[in-house]
Amino acid sequence: MSPTMSLTLKVWRQANPTSAGEFRTYKVHSISPDQSFLEMLDVLNEQLIINGEEPVAFDHDCREGICGMCSLMINGQAHGPERKTTTCQLHMRKFKDGDTIVIEPWRAKPFPVLRDLVVDRSAFDRIMTKGGYVTVNTGNAPDGNAILIPKENADKAFEAATCIGCGACVAACKNASAMLFVSAKVSQLALLPQGQPERTQRVQGMVAQMDSEGFGGCTNTNECEAACPVGISVENIARLNREYIRATVVGLT
Amino acid sequence: MSWVIKAFSSSIGKKLVMAITGLALCGFLAAHLGGNLLLYVGAEQYNHYAEALHSQKLLLPIAEVGLLLLFVMHLVTAVRTTLENRAARPIGYEMRQSKLPPGPFLKPASSVMYGTGIVVLLFLLLHLSDFKFELRNPAVESETPFAKAQILLRDPLTAIVYIIGSFALGYHVLHGVQSAFQTLGFNHPKYNSGVKTLSTLFALVVALGFSSFPLWAWAFHSK
Repeated sequence: MSPTMSLTLKVWRQANPTSAGEFRTYKVHSISPDQSFLEMLDVLNEQLIINGEEPVAFDHDCREGICGMCSLMINGQAHGPERKTTTCQLHMRKFKDGDTIVIEPWRAKPFPVLRDLVVDRSAFDRIMTKGGYVTVNTGNAPDGNAILIPKENADKAFEAATCIGCGACVAACKNASAMLFVSAKVSQLALLPQGQPERTQRVQGMVAQMDSEGFGGCTNTNECEAACPVGISVENIARLNREYIRATVVGLT
Repeated sequence: MSWVIKAFSSSIGKKLVMAITGLALCGFLAAHLGGNLLLYVGAEQYNHYAEALHSQKLLLPIAEVGLLLLFVMHLVTAVRTTLENRAARPIGYEMRQSKLPPGPFLKPASSVMYGTGIVVLLFLLLHLSDFKFELRNPAVESETPFAKAQILLRDPLTAIVYIIGSFALGYHVLHGVQSAFQTLGFNHPKYNSGVKTLSTLFALVVALGFSSFPLWAWAFHSK
């Protein structure tokens, strides 16, 4: 068995959305390098409960890297130091015995802190309601491959569709911009025939909602692409811009 | 036309304003550098070019107003978006680390656009007050354009400031050009490396080209 680690954790604690919040320092011991980052936080919480303290609140659900619930700014990096990895899939072997780890919530005006490390990401849901869907006929399911789609488009749409909506792009962007998220959602549907009926209103509606939520603008620094746990490309942001220009030219409003 | 205003007031619209005005100003830089390079061809050719340019009584004021408009739009949009971008994160991080591979410079050009932009603005104001309004050295008014360039640029302090300004401008357009292409939706695996090369070459030509003039005046035309 590999030797265990002792770590110092500097964790953001905030009781509710309106309280001030502060960093608190905790020590954890006997951490296995094979544990995930969230399992390490589970150990911390067990320890806090035994001591009669409030456990640290953090978001998580599937712990398989596909649901997009986990977040955390770990030592100043969204989802921690490893590329293309969510926090739940990050292993403690990426850290060394005796390390100090700073753990913060996503920071953006449209992502208010609810408690400790949990932020409210429903701004993304409101953006989705403005166009992140397609209309379909009810009735029998259509035949598979009844609509022909070029392989390249299908691949690009699939790549865009892998966005799990975790918000790491917003967290890592110096402007707290949501362009990578919105561009993935717009691209996914703009590339497919099924997305054409709403194509123009989709990009206009989603961009307008993104702006009214208070996200920043894109300055093409590409931090989002580097931070994205599923590797969404900034090529999608260029496509979002093209879709926006097209909608401005051909749209009725 | 309310749809035009609406389109250009969104976050993407403001980026488009930055990209279009920025690229247009880059066009001016290229023309300005091309004209200035006549300094190396000879005094006669440079003086002839300057006189031909200033004899355009109709076109020159139109071009100047156009440039001023482009510049003001670029600047106002830059200030607006910077303020909005800062407001999007009212509480900052305790710790911050980039996941991008480290570049050749201490800070990537994209993260210091506001800073290099301010340096370029100050440089531009100094440059206009020197050459257009002749505020620092009114005596140059009676000189030929060629002699005027020599006299103004051979002052060591001016030379150093102009060289710093030129390099800030180069670093600004290094990100600016490739960013403008991305903003205008021009991103394609076949052309991306070409756009990057074009951006780097243009930045080098601007930085080295414009900083060569004070060096030339300083080295070969000192009193």
